[in-house]
This record gives sequence, C-alpha cells and structure tokens, in this order.
Amino acid sequence: MCLWSGCQPTVPKNKIKVFIYSLKKYVDDSGVPVSNTISREYNELLTAISDSDYYTDDITRACLFVPSIDVLNQNTLRIKETAQALAQLSRWDRGTNHLLFNMLPGGPPDYNTALDVPRDRALLAGGGFSTWTYRQGYDVSIPVYSPLSAEVDLPEKGPGPRRYFLLSSQMALHPEYREELGALQAKHGESVLVLDKCTNLSEDVLSVRKRCHEHQVFDYPQVLQEATFCVVLRGARLGQAVLSDVLRAGCVPVVIADSYILPFSEVLDWKRASVVVPEEKMADVYSILQSIPQRQIEEMQRQARWFWEAYFQSIKAIALATLQIINDRIYPYAAISYEEWNDPPTVKWGSVSNPLFLPLIPPQSQGFTAIVLTYDRVESLFRVITEVSKVPSLSKLLVVWNNQNKSPPEESLWPKIRVPLKVVRTAENKLSNRFFPYDEIETEAVLAIDDDIIMLTSDELQFGYEVWREFPDRLVGYPGRLHLWDHEMSKWKYESEWTNEVSMVLTGAAFYHKYFNYLYTYKMPGDIKNWVDAHMNCEDIAMNFLVANVTGKAVIKVTPRKKFKCPECTAIDGLSLDQTHMVERSECINKFASVFGTMPLKVVEHRADPVLYKDDFPEKLKSFPNIGSL
Amino acid sequence: MQSCRRKSLWLALLASWLLGLLGILPLLRLAVPTGPRAGAPQGWPRWLDAELLQSFLQPGELPEDAPQLRRAPRGGSCDWGACFDTSKCRSGGFKVFVYPAAEPTSEMQHKILASIEGSRYHTVSPTEACLHLLTLDAPAGACSLVPPKWNGGKNHLVLRLHPASCSGTFQLGWAMVAEASPTVDTFRPGFDVALPLLPEAHPVRGGAPGQLRQHSPHPGAALLALAEERGGWRVAATDSSACPWDGHCEQDHGPEQTHPGAALPNATFCLIPGRRADALRFLQALQPSLGAALLRGYRLDQGGHCSRQEAPTAGAGCPPGDAPHAGPRPASADPVSVGHLLLLSGEGHPYRPREPAFLLQIIQDRILGASAHPSLLWNSPPGALLALPTFSTSPLDFPFYYLQQGSRPAGRFSALIWVGATGQPPLKLIQAVAGSQHCAQILVLWSNDKPPPPSWPETAVPLLVIEGHRKVSARFFPHSAISTDAILSLDAHSSLSTSEVDFAFVVWQSFPERMVGFLTWSHFWDEAQGRWGYTAERVNEFSMVLTSAAFYHRYYHTLFTHSLPKALRRLAEAAPHCVDVLMNFLVAAATKLPPIKVPSGRRHEDASPPRVPGDLGPAARDCIDRVAAGFGHMPLVSSRLRLDPVLFKDPVSVLRKKYRGLEKP
Repeated sequence: MCLWSGCQPTVPKNKIKVFIYSLKKYVDDSGVPVSNTISREYNELLTAISDSDYYTDDITRACLFVPSIDVLNQNTLRIKETAQALAQLSRWDRGTNHLLFNMLPGGPPDYNTALDVPRDRALLAGGGFSTWTYRQGYDVSIPVYSPLSAEVDLPEKGPGPRRYFLLSSQMALHPEYREELGALQAKHGESVLVLDKCTNLSEDVLSVRKRCHEHQVFDYPQVLQEATFCVVLRGARLGQAVLSDVLRAGCVPVVIADSYILPFSEVLDWKRASVVVPEEKMADVYSILQSIPQRQIEEMQRQARWFWEAYFQSIKAIALATLQIINDRIYPYAAISYEEWNDPPTVKWGSVSNPLFLPLIPPQSQGFTAIVLTYDRVESLFRVITEVSKVPSLSKLLVVWNNQNKSPPEESLWPKIRVPLKVVRTAENKLSNRFFPYDEIETEAVLAIDDDIIMLTSDELQFGYEVWREFPDRLVGYPGRLHLWDHEMSKWKYESEWTNEVSMVLTGAAFYHKYFNYLYTYKMPGDIKNWVDAHMNCEDIAMNFLVANVTGKAVIKVTPRKKFKCPECTAIDGLSLDQTHMVERSECINKFASVFGTMPLKVVEHRADPVLYKDDFPEKLKSFPNIGSL
Repeated sequence: MQSCRRKSLWLALLASWLLGLLGILPLLRLAVPTGPRAGAPQGWPRWLDAELLQSFLQPGELPEDAPQLRRAPRGGSCDWGACFDTSKCRSGGFKVFVYPAAEPTSEMQHKILASIEGSRYHTVSPTEACLHLLTLDAPAGACSLVPPKWNGGKNHLVLRLHPASCSGTFQLGWAMVAEASPTVDTFRPGFDVALPLLPEAHPVRGGAPGQLRQHSPHPGAALLALAEERGGWRVAATDSSACPWDGHCEQDHGPEQTHPGAALPNATFCLIPGRRADALRFLQALQPSLGAALLRGYRLDQGGHCSRQEAPTAGAGCPPGDAPHAGPRPASADPVSVGHLLLLSGEGHPYRPREPAFLLQIIQDRILGASAHPSLLWNSPPGALLALPTFSTSPLDFPFYYLQQGSRPAGRFSALIWVGATGQPPLKLIQAVAGSQHCAQILVLWSNDKPPPPSWPETAVPLLVIEGHRKVSARFFPHSAISTDAILSLDAHSSLSTSEVDFAFVVWQSFPERMVGFLTWSHFWDEAQGRWGYTAERVNEFSMVLTSAAFYHRYYHTLFTHSLPKALRRLAEAAPHCVDVLMNFLVAAATKLPPIKVPSGRRHEDASPPRVPGDLGPAARDCIDRVAAGFGHMPLVSSRLRLDPVLFKDPVSVLRKKYRGLEKP
C-alpha cells in the first residue's frame, strides 16, 4: 500500500514541482537499445510538462520526477532492461516520487492491466487499469490517447437524435461479443449498426479509417457522429483508444468492460457522460439505453464532447490533468472543485455557486451592526445615531469618519446610546471605506447607512433586518432602482422613476451579509473599486453588481419607500437629481457591465412588506404599524 | 551474494553504455533528436525533427491484439459487475431481506433493523430479495454463524456498525461490507460502503437540527481545535488578530486551553486524528464548526459520493497570501464544504431513519447505474435522499438546482383544480386562470359522485377533465398530463383574479423551490397541552400556505406520492385538512425555508371557503402534532413578510401599475 509522503509544501502556490530527467540512451551489454527512442506522444507529453507551471529544472526542489524513458506502450519495451534503466535514475530510490506514464499495459497472452515493468513505489499514470491493479488514491487512471485526435478534422456536431441508436465500431472484438452484438442488430434492425474491419479495400486506403458492414463502407471516425450511443467493449486490454474517438463524436459511450477504471475517474463524474453496463448484461443493453430520457441523452452527449475537449483531445491535456489530480491529492485544501472538473464551460458561465448557499436563517438574537459613513455633518450624524439606536435588533454602531482634516467630536458630545458605539478614522476620504470589512463587525448582518438618512422609522429598519434574516445572501434595501436597455443608444440606462420592477437598491440604507464587504474590498473585478473611489459615485451600483454576480439572485426591496428625502437635505440618491447625475449613473452601469463581462443584475417585480401591510386589520395589532411613507 | 555480484556487473556494463548524447548509433534513423534549438528556454528540449518521431501506437497495432473474454472475478477483490447479481433487483424492484438477529443486539442496531423492516424496501421472502442484510455487531465471542442462504456472500450486505467487530468469523467473500470507519487496506471502492461511526445515542430519525446557525464563524472563534485523547479538545488559540487584513500571520499566541469535557469548542477547523477511536469525533465536529480537518488514513466518503475535494482538509496556521482574514476567512470556501458534510451527517432526510435510508440509497444507485443520482444531487441541498431518482436524474428537472445549472424555470404553469364531493364546476375560476398569459393548461380533477358537466367554458388553453373518485391525497398525484414545471393547485371553491395569478406566478419563478400561496396558517407550540398546534387566525407571521391556491414545483407531487410513509398519507385521508399540513411539512423539510405569501383580495374572506375555518377542529389540531411526530422534528419555518408588487397600494396613478387587479380595496 502506497500512501503520500515526501512532498514538501511549496508555499505559497500550493503547486507541486516536477523534474524531467534528461534524455539518455540505454543499451544492453550487447549494444542493443533497451527501448525505441521516445515516441511522438511522449515527446509531446514531456514538452507539455516542461511548459507548465509544474516544471522545475532544479532537481533538489522537485517533488515529482518524470523519467525520459518512454513506457507508453509496453509492446515496444524490454521489461527487465527497462526496469534496470529506471533504477539508474539518479533519484530513483525504489521509485519514490517518480511518475510513469503508460497507455498500453500488458502483453500477450494475459494482458496485465498495469505496466509489467517492475516499478516498485513509482506512481503509475496508466490507461486500462482494472480494480485489481489500480491503487486507489495513488495511481492515476488516464485515457489511451487516440492519434486520430490530431490526424482527423472532425467538426463538432451538436447533440440530438441521430441516425443510429447504437453503434459498435471496434474491429478487434471477441467472437462471442460480436455474436451478441449481431443478435442485438437482428432484433432491433436499422437502429443498431455493428461495424467490422473491411476485407476488400484497395491497397492505398488506410484501413484504420474505414469500417464495413456487409458491403457498405463507412468512414471512421465520421460514422461515430451518426450514432447516439457507441459501444466501447474491452479488447485484449481494458483501455481502448476508441473511447476517445467516441467522446469526440459526441456519441455517448456504452462502456462494457467489467472492473475497468475509467480515465480520471477520481475526478470525472462518468455518470454524466457514459453508460456503464456489466458484461453479463450485454443482451439487455438496448432496453437499458432506451429507458434513458431524451433530454438526459442530450446532456450526456454534450458532456461526452466536453470531456474530450478538456481531458482527451491532446497529450498535453492528458498530462496536465494527471498532474492536477496528483497536485489535488497533495494539497487537498487547494484542490479544484467537482464543478470545475465536470461542468462544461456553458454551464460554468451561466451557473452560480453561491458561497452563502446554506438555507440558514440567522438567529435574531445576534442583531446587526450599523455602519454610518460620515464626513462632517455632525448634527445630522448624531440624529441618525439617535434614530438607529431605537431599533431593537441593533447590536453595535460603527461610525466611519472619512474626514482626515477634522477630528471627530469629543467622546462626551456623542449621543448616549444603549449599544457600543465605535468610531473608525480612515486614512483617505474614499467611498469604498463604507464597504471595508472592519474587525469591529461582529455580527453577520451589516446595515450601511448614510449620515443623512433620518427619515427611516424604527419599524422600517427593524423590519428590514427581519427580511434580511430570511434572505441573508441578498442586498435588502429601501428605495429600488432599475437598469433598462436603451434600444436607440444600444446601451444600459439607469432608471429611478416609478416602475413596476427593481433590480438594485440604494445603499444609503441597506442590509447585507458582512461577507460582501470582504468581496467588495478584495475581490471586486477589474478596476471598479478604484474607479468608484476616483469618481466618488456609484459605490452602491458596484455593490449591487457584485452581490448579484456572486449569488445569481435579485435584491429585496422592502417597504414602499421610493426616495430618501429629508427636511434639511435636497439630495436624492445621496447626490443631486439633475440630468448629469442620471447620465453618470447610467455610465456606471455600462462601465460595470463591461468589466463583469455580463449583466448580472436580476429584475424582479416584487417588494417585501409586513404580512399585514395595508390589510384591513387593527393597526395596533400589527407588528410593524409604522411603515408606509414614501 | 552471487546475484548481487551479477547485478553489480550488470550495472557496470550498463553504466559504461550510458551515452548521454544521441546520434552515435546508426540504428536510430529519423528519430534521432538533433539537440535543442538555440535560445530555447531551459527544460525539455524542442527537437527540430520532433515531427518525424513515430507514434507510440502504430496504425493497426491494436486490432492485432488478441481479443479475449475475462469475466470471472479473481483474487479477493470485487466489483459491481462481477460480485453482485443485479437481475433480481431490476425485475422485482429493490427488495431487502433482513436476517433475524440471533443474539441480543445493540440498541442502535435494533433501531436500524426496525427501520428497514418498516420501510418500502423490506421483504419477508429471501427468494424475492435482491439484497440480504446481515448484521455483525454482536459482542465478542457471540458472532453469528454463516447464514443459510449465504451463497459465497453474493448479494449480501454485511452491516458492521463498530469497527472490526466479528472480523474473523468467516470469509466475507462477495458480500458488500458497510462498515463504520473502514481502513483503506480492506475497503473496496465502489463496492463497500463507508459509514460514519455513530454514537449509541444517535437519533434514528429527526433529531435536533444542526447547531450551525451562521454562514461565517464568529470573529472570536479559534482557528483550530484538536481532538485529544479521552474525548477532550485542545484549542490552538489563534484569535483573529493574529491574521490581520494584510494577510500576515503572527505565531500563535495565548495559552492553549484544554477542555476535558466532550463539548466542542468554538473553532473554525477541527483537527481529528485518523485513529479509529476518534472517528466519533468527526460527526461531533460536523455539527457546529465550519470545517473538519482529517488526518490521513481515515475514509470519509459514503460509497464514493462525497468526493475528495468536497471534504475539507486543512492544515494548521494561515498560509500567507491565501486570504486568511478574519472576516473573509469563513465565507470563501468553508461554508460550501460544510454544507456537503452536513448533508452527509444525515440532515438530508426528514422522516425516514437516516442511516438505513442512506445506505440503501447508495446501493440502489449502484444497481440503477445509468439512472442513478449524479454527484450534484448527493452533494448539494437538499441531498440525494430528497431528490428521488425515480423522478429524474437530470438536475434541471428538480426545483433545487436552477442557479447551479445556470438555468431558470419555464414561463408557463398548469392549473390543477380539485373538485371534491360537494364542489360545483368552477366556471368563474377557470375563466380567471385561463386569462393568465402564463397558463399552459387546466386540469380538472373531478372527484365527485355526480358526473362532470358535458360542456366546459371555452378557454384559450387546453382543458382536461380527469375523472375518478379519489382520496384527498390523490390531488398531489404526479399526473402524467401535467406538462409544466409549475403547478397552480386550486380548489373548486377558490376565488382568484387573473392579476393575482399572474403576480403569484412571477414571484414563484424567483423562488421555484418554495410554495407561493395566498392564504396562510401558522404553527405554534402549545405549552399548556405540550404539543404542536396551528391556527388560521391571521397573525403577523405564517409558516404554511394553503394548497387551495398555491404555486409549487411539480416535483413535490412525486415527493408527496412516493416518499411519504404510508402512515402519514393515511392520516391525510382521515383528516382532509392534513394534506395542507403534510405538503407544507414536506416542502419545508426539503428547503428548510418558509413558504411565500402574496397578497390576496378580500373576496377570500367573503367567500369563506370551508377549508379555511377560523377555528380548526380538534382532529385538525391533532394532525400537525402527529405529522411532526412522523417527521421526527418540526421542519416548518416562520416568515414575517409578504411579497407585494413594487407599486402595491402606492399613491400613484393606477395606470402606472402592472397588477391593477390587486389594487381594489
């Protein structure tokens, strides 16, 4: 039993380092070479490793060693002599931390399912492992590369129904299997096609590129694109290059090879791209396949093609996937995810994996932290503090003092409130300071509030917090705004009119999870954060984009409030209402959409009100009676 | 010695022939690399004549291989095709026969066997069974003998809840072993099943919800807790200030604390050694903490469904540059992993005993092969036990995975109108529903002694009458005629306007996994009587919506019909109000979220349908208590909000409003 050891952590990148031995020629005592020179594929493989981030030419820093002795095909090897050559390697040490690549293991008559060259502790990346030879969690099961991948130009064919339901294209099949396939063809007629070697081809035709059924001649691998399912039967070896051709054609492989360890099965979810049928069930294969719904078949076709593109199509892809798997074992905490391995790009692009995905409703007892961004409006700030402190669930108040020229008022002058009040002085007057993940934030819920928002009632704020608890992964705010596509100008437009839809909320007063402060500060795409600080505008739109992009969900607008209007301030949206303001806000949306590369905002037609809002019910029995001003 | 000398001679010979550069031997014609190009980067050289190298796979080589059959399993290893006969399982369904325990069993074992015997999988006939279950958990020396229909262990599942008990009794052969904390040496991947080691007190169903209430750890939480011997924990006292925002970490400081008791400290990661004795700590750590770090040698996966990268393993300390900040540290990766692990710990299933259901589902998945659960269904909420493979194996068909799949529910719904014994043809309702632009079809479930009227109103959408006297629970039958993801469930008595239907459907599209309804009930704990109750009195919160007018995903019909234990469904038939309670329990158990209420016009009160009495009778009250007992816990969650149209009852012109029908006083 081999277990992992010996790889020193290569901080900070969590990446193993791979060394390649230089090419040497090994001959036996009679001067005959131990093996052929390296194959085209092995040369490609070593080139791919050498070009990758894994490569090091410093043998002392390496964690993994790759010999330049080509053992891809055991047929070309002299077993004993190859083992002796391996043992000559300067760091061999019984194969510890050495990686061998082999695609065609074994030889007649038994055809072992793993390379017969004694390799001791060396890791084997092998094609055609069986459950008996595969050392789970140690060896890596790789595909048998199909040279047709590079030789033939086969344009992609989309998923959907095809001419043949089931196709067998392999030439070297055991007569008993061929008989069973023939029986299937006899039973199901036209929808099953069993191909064989062509016997009467003229000399100049490449026989590997042709298949025949009776007197009909088919081009290979093109014929695979005519079938929905393609049989991949064991031959002498379990691993078959035809698997690669089949995947490429978007034909769903029907793998009939008991105990075969499918390529990269440690990370690839083969259930999504193939059908594995036990050998003894071969007679039932047609009915098994027929029970699969059409939509699932099409997904499998897409998935098969994607597996080929990502992991089968070149020697480079095979080599890098192998190293990634080994890397993931050594640094499991930095391993790439199931989704990254298995989801095709179209799914990755459209899908969202919400980091706050657990269906939790945080306990009310924790409350929220209010963060007030202020510059110098002390009187207004004190009123906001006094008003917010009346909200039952407030647990801490944090004032972000953004004025470097002036000190905050003395401690004795501040309003006396029932919860801790802390003042943070910032080094620079930046809008992004309001979204900084301050250590002082101990609650999950944050209320961002401007220093002039005094019109929100205690009921409105408390209700907002309770709504946030039910939607802790969303922005929960009061006035809603909308983005619209301007067909004339062919760009996005900001809308603050009375609309039936919302896609953003203003962060002049909004609840959200404190995690988004971390994302805003450290993970905002592109130059958006600096751009916002330079323009002193649109930090709220940036936050709306960020949250919608990472969660795939819409904002929640609470209560009917349409604007933040207060007696002293003429400002709306925190700034001015003139046309230039609207133009600037529209510019922000266009800028952010181009940086994100998409429009993440989601439009909804609902807002959240208390259950009994505007219902014919005694006001004094309602939990949040004081809601309703605009 | 002689061989040693021969070997060294060999080596010397070989070494003498080690010719570093090639091109010496004329044997190597084209294939001789001519050396690296000038100026090429270091590393593997770029051979100028690389194109001339031959392929490892010569054309025509593979076809020459002698094809052969190999079927019989050999060695001690097993795999699915060779050691298990799936024919019985496919033809007769997945039936499990349980060997009666000869010896007095442990309480846990007893509970598990009892739950399997009460499940839909159980059969009393060993010949009919696809799987024979044998428990090996007797105290030392009292292990059972080879059972009568052993057959080399074929199609047998040996359940071993405690590591290594009765290990040497007899050869397990072809039997699958479901074992707590197996070692990598004996575990056969894809064949055996690894179980968590359960404490004796582990609840077989329901049980307390996990202690995890937050998405991120409290800033004061320690980074790492180490499981110590004798059940204690030691905290590596890294407070958040040791890893400030800039990512630089200081050495751990502060005293190390030891907790002699078994209580888990407040820590982000828990380090559990791979010793078998510590396996129990694993489940303990999954409860409140955000991640568990395992030392190598311990098998985590349940039959390979929780893949490696989903099991968070973490080293101690803060790797610089990897965002180990106090606030952000949590949410970047940890909660994700925790969710998976919470599912594994059995949160996924509401009412059936956890362990057996899990186990049997894994095995059934293997038998089903192509129609088994994809990994996504095992590893994302609500978990594989609530995503029935008999419904679909495509995540796109379930209401839970739209976001992960980058898709969205389709824009149409099917109205399902239940006409009970006293119901009249709901002509007005049909017109109102058919008026919705989102309506795809109307199905009338005519369950009335009178024959349905021969003619129905002309509607823009197809109207289908399904006749037959049915039980109340049959309204949630997954009729094949339902062609859309969304169902609008209605009673003949319900009264809705087209505006209400349109708005509620648009809301449902944002929350496809939840129920969206108009009329609500609230559950409460009745202190005086010591049991659960519920009320239709309008209060400031609610936890159930009535299915007499509600949108939900059609998958819940399958879940209702095929996963609820018979006893619960009989309950619904005895007390018709109970179907609403049951359906709400079912959806809440799957989503762990409250339903959604949308505004309803006053006419509901005016109509006062008999299904919404102000005071529910004693039978109805009893219902919720019995359903809660059947589920083993109370899954309902309360909500305090209602979703209204954005301009709902705002003082602006009605012409501006999209859902004007909702504005009437």
